Amino acid sequence: MSGPTDLTFADIDRDEALLEAVAALHGETRAAFLRKAAIGGGALLAALAMPPSAGAAARLTDTAVLQFGLRFERLQATFYTEADRLGTVGRMPAAKQQWARTLGAHERAHVRIIKQILGDKAGPRPFFDFHGSTESDGSFTRTAVAMEDLTVALLTGVTPHMQDRRLSAALFGLLTTEARHAAWARHLVGTTPAARSFDDPRPVADVQSIVDATHFIRASPRLRRRRSRPRFTG
Amino acid sequence: MSRRRILAWAAGGAAAATLAAVAGSGPAGTAADRAPAATPDGAVDARGLPAPVRPAFTPGRPRALGADRFTSRWAPVRRPATALARPAAGAPAVARVAARTPEGTTNIVLVIGRRTDAAGRVWVRARLATLPNGRTGWLPRSALGGYGTVDTELRVDTARLTATLLVRGRPVFRAPVGIGQTRWPTPRGRFYVRDELTRFAGRTYGPVAFGTSARSSVLTDWPAGGFVGIHGTDRPDLVPGRISHGCIRLRNADILVLARLMPVGTPLTVD
Repeated sequence: MSGPTDLTFADIDRDEALLEAVAALHGETRAAFLRKAAIGGGALLAALAMPPSAGAAARLTDTAVLQFGLRFERLQATFYTEADRLGTVGRMPAAKQQWARTLGAHERAHVRIIKQILGDKAGPRPFFDFHGSTESDGSFTRTAVAMEDLTVALLTGVTPHMQDRRLSAALFGLLTTEARHAAWARHLVGTTPAARSFDDPRPVADVQSIVDATHFIRASPRLRRRRSRPRFTG
Repeated sequence: MSRRRILAWAAGGAAAATLAAVAGSGPAGTAADRAPAATPDGAVDARGLPAPVRPAFTPGRPRALGADRFTSRWAPVRRPATALARPAAGAPAVARVAARTPEGTTNIVLVIGRRTDAAGRVWVRARLATLPNGRTGWLPRSALGGYGTVDTELRVDTARLTATLLVRGRPVFRAPVGIGQTRWPTPRGRFYVRDELTRFAGRTYGPVAFGTSARSSVLTDWPAGGFVGIHGTDRPDLVPGRISHGCIRLRNADILVLARLMPVGTPLTVD
């Protein structure tokens, strides 16, 4: 296991899907980004919190923020649920089981309430493909750490933009909870729970790019077809 | 230290002025936004501090996952692959698995097991849509897409000529069915629903037809390989009965109800 200060982003993101996207946001190749990050004493997960080179947050409506938030919460809830259902969580040490199951229950509760708030505007559940990262302790943990940190960066970025103060108050409640999730995850992998003295906000567009780059959210398989004449035996 | 004293300490002196400036967010601030009154010793009277903004929502109690015994898992075939007899590279091939069904939909397999080999590769044991019926094989996890889940199961009783849909183990729908004639029997065993076709021309199959992984072991030269469907009919007078080429026919009103309740990926048992 990595020591408390030498955990690199690549350690967490072994498939490097997130890394590619983060590097792109900084206008660099993956190799250049890694090199630069290494000079600074290890990329750490602070890579997620480094300010991107360009792009101010677009003006977002409260509904759009909640819709993106729901998409992201669904991603997390499905991730933890799938790992639990597949038995990956059950094979972990007791402390990690408690962590994974607590986070899974929290994320499902977040999904329920945001869906309820959005009502008809919630949209259909996306189809997720975690590319096997729910199927082993190592890849599950690495992805969970990156995902929780990303959630904190997202909520830090969007919460001040909410026009309805009561909605921003609710998102602050989610933000502090997600920050505890991130710290708990970091503690479990043996890295510093609070790596920096300040969490920089991250625009939704950046988070969207990072999530897109993981390819965790996929087009639904085409299971239904119209006007295709059946050729079953009849 | 009491809560009030802590607040007074935190907000004392210059900090009190800062708090007041932050709280007074506009020229016409509300009573709650106004600066709290200072006590004679310079500390802030905590009773004058604004109340927190009431959140628009708060999540309900977190709930642990329930029992999993009614959940079945399926996965789309991401790329054509060879199903193997064992979860190991080099094991004998069992069948070739395509990425598309003959109907042009995404091919899916029903997941019935998983194993990680010594090299750390994950293998998935899947029910296959091949002859002989009931065959299973191991596919590399990388050949499959994300998992879908269902909590439904369809049971077809060929003696009673009924179809029963269970949701989380409880029957929610039952209807009479037509099944294969003696010379073209509906295959028995465990299968799954792998696609759903609608709005096609012609009335033979009714308004909805589900494709299944079951295949006729007799009509092997049927177009597209003789897959067994579950569909409506233009001859409702023949249902229930042993009247088809192997397909499972329901009256049109029944197949429409079933289509609302049964997702693709549902396990199918014919016995």
